[in-house]
Amino acid sequence: MSEALRADRRVHPGTIFLRFLKEAPSTVLALPAALAVISDAGIGRALAVAGAIAAAAIFFQWLAWSRFRYGVGAGEIVIESGILHRNRRSIPFGRIQDVDIERALLARLFGLAKVRIETGAGGKDEGLLDSVTVAEADRLRGAVRAWRGEQAALAAGAAPDGAEAESQDGGDPRPDPLAPPARPLFAMGVRRVLLFGLFNFSLFYIASLFAFLQTFDNLLPFDIYDPARWIGLVETRLPGRFTLGAIVAVLLLAMLLGLAAGVLRTLSRHHGFRLTAEGDRFRRERGLFTRTEAVIAKRRVQLAYVRTGPIRRAFGWSGLSFQTLGAASDGSGMQEAAPFARRDEMAPILAEAAPLRLPPPPTLAMVSSRHIVRAMATSLAPATIVIAALSVRWPAALLLVALLPLLGVAAALDRRFHRYALDGELLFVTRGVWRQQLWVVPVANAQAVSIARSVLQRRLGLATVSIDTAGAAILRGVRIVDIGDEAARRLAGKVAEGRRLHSSGRKSGTER
Amino acid sequence: MTPLDKGQLWVMRIRAGAIGLLALVAAAIAETVLRDEIGLARGVIVLPLLPPLLWLALIAPGRRFRAWGYRVDGEELEVRHGVWTEVETVVPFERVQHIDIAQGPLERAFGVTRLIVHTAGTLHSQVPLPGLARATAERMRDEIRARIRRDEA
Repeated sequence: MSEALRADRRVHPGTIFLRFLKEAPSTVLALPAALAVISDAGIGRALAVAGAIAAAAIFFQWLAWSRFRYGVGAGEIVIESGILHRNRRSIPFGRIQDVDIERALLARLFGLAKVRIETGAGGKDEGLLDSVTVAEADRLRGAVRAWRGEQAALAAGAAPDGAEAESQDGGDPRPDPLAPPARPLFAMGVRRVLLFGLFNFSLFYIASLFAFLQTFDNLLPFDIYDPARWIGLVETRLPGRFTLGAIVAVLLLAMLLGLAAGVLRTLSRHHGFRLTAEGDRFRRERGLFTRTEAVIAKRRVQLAYVRTGPIRRAFGWSGLSFQTLGAASDGSGMQEAAPFARRDEMAPILAEAAPLRLPPPPTLAMVSSRHIVRAMATSLAPATIVIAALSVRWPAALLLVALLPLLGVAAALDRRFHRYALDGELLFVTRGVWRQQLWVVPVANAQAVSIARSVLQRRLGLATVSIDTAGAAILRGVRIVDIGDEAARRLAGKVAEGRRLHSSGRKSGTER
Repeated sequence: MTPLDKGQLWVMRIRAGAIGLLALVAAAIAETVLRDEIGLARGVIVLPLLPPLLWLALIAPGRRFRAWGYRVDGEELEVRHGVWTEVETVVPFERVQHIDIAQGPLERAFGVTRLIVHTAGTLHSQVPLPGLARATAERMRDEIRARIRRDEA
């Protein structure tokens, strides 16, 4: 029999009324109002309908309230909820990072508050108690704090040399009166920003021109989607001047405008870029019109991500970002640390976020050669279908078959540039022929590791390993595609081992 | 790898059967409507749909059920599932943030629950393990909690 912590408390019954009030405008009032307007049923009928809906709404809220229970104690908070789908959630005290007490206006009138329990989990709404009395909310927060205090005292007692500097109170960081001086790590002068802008060639203005035209599609005297019209337009506008020279001039103009757009956008975003190290955090400032500042705590950095393009790489430029816990402006945790830098400029930045570093190039191993087979198989099929479909209409399309070997070349290149290596406590993964990406992941930060094998992969004896980390963007997790079965298992095993070995000093990689 | 509780097979079958039935009804309705409009022969829509739906309702759940498996290994939980694409996920106990035990009405009828483990990751922020008897799920949850508590000490 489990220790079954009794979930014996209910949220305040006033919640029923509160939630009903919050939903009233949309449910109770809207429908009858619509009815009264649409059918000539009269006010009496509309009120009756409103009354019926209100009664139903209150009944459902009551049902939800009576099925929601929570309990505190024995080192965890337990929440039971659900009318049809029962769910019992258990949140250990040790994983609670914060207890937020939210007091909305309506709730305040009734002396109630919403309690939000935050853990390190990557989803949302770990624990929500809607709503309890303010006294109860404070009691909850006090219980968590008291427990933390106990743990801290125990830890301090066990480690008399005070080595546990990372206290477990998770509360407000102690303001350090002697704040460490800011050490500049990386800065981009105007010339660097302009150069960066040149590499950020942007056809943005052409896209916006088309967007503009599309908005006024109906008002224009011609159909913008008909290519014949465009050519006709050009012909009428430039009679006799539809020459090669004119086309080249137009293309050149487009390129120049693209360059200018890119430079301007980069300038406004990255002007005065400065990255400094301040004790246990990085501070990054940038921007011409709007000066933005971001603080990246070193402890929250999960991995380093380096990205470069073919032309940039030829000139030796790449961009460094840190993936951190907690959201950046685009929802993921990617924060740019050095968007346009040389590799030797990145080394000191990475050194600050030990144990990260750049890999020495030759040590990375390529993924299995059978990746070529699989990549070709997956791209040949749609390609042949498309060619077959086209050749029904235009027999000349069969000539495209001559281009199919290019798919093989692309697959081989793909494989050559997809490499990985596990070097002590760091996992390096590179991917991409055109847009080359490098991930540097300390295995101590690995969350769940997963090995996936599709039908084709099973036939070829391949597998895809993905290493989950906190704060990753949805499609940009660390994945090693198409390595051999055995190699995949060995890698997963070594990552797990490395994680156990190197994370013994840290708790769950989720402290603030 | 430990297989899931047999009750889960029935849950899967009933779910698949419900979907198949709905699809069949929709096809039948479409066919009746179109027959009046265009004059299709009887069964032109429904008959071709029958084999895949039968597969979906009768054979696929069994295969999916057999593909699920889990293993608790002291420090980590390993979950395997998938028929076409096999996926094995390893979640270390120390990475678990909080734990859910969920049970819908269908699952309650067959006495199985779903254990959902939440981590700080993004792709695997939730790792579900369906088809566990309640006692098994609670035992696993307590094991994980004990490990977390040791982590804090």
